[in-house]
Amino acid sequence: MGESIVWESDLKKALARAGAEKRPVLLDFFNPG
Amino acid sequence: MDAVTYPTASVVEFISKNVTPLRIPSDSEPLATDFMIKWTPTLIILDENGREHFRTVGFLTPEEFVPSIMLGIAKYHYGLDRFQSAIHCVDDVLKDHPKSSAAPEAVFLRGVLGYKSAHDAMSLKKAYERLAEEYPGSEWAKKALPYRLIH
Repeated sequence: MGESIVWESDLKKALARAGAEKRPVLLDFFNPG
Repeated sequence: MDAVTYPTASVVEFISKNVTPLRIPSDSEPLATDFMIKWTPTLIILDENGREHFRTVGFLTPEEFVPSIMLGIAKYHYGLDRFQSAIHCVDDVLKDHPKSSAAPEAVFLRGVLGYKSAHDAMSLKKAYERLAEEYPGSEWAKKALPYRLIH
């Protein structure tokens, strides 16, 4: 089993992290079922 | 996406190197309404201020995911007037994924970026010529048609 994606779950936290890392946010709206 | 695309090693590596990944349930309010989410999956590229630069709706295979999101990152840089970074992303799409669905739009965007960054109109004509040669049936070849008249 390899590594998996570590998703953020809070928009504000993700935007702050993206700013610090100088990257864009990839926002995935998914079907929760 | 959970069963096929996200577990794929190349996708995990791409995401970890290039974006901050965020997952939100499509019934989560007010975000679902704010982003006008009508179908899943909807993938959106945002800058650090929350402004949207790209979106794609529907399943992406691992082979299509990387070039599609790379094109989105190119548009993110373009939207922030970082032309050289955008060109780098577009060139990566065309070098590593020339047969992907994102490739024709990447050629078009490469032409636009050449013009915007260096005021080189021939960049637009080159984009048309490449689209006509390599992706003649694509919508982007049609959109580039006026550039054939540049000389």
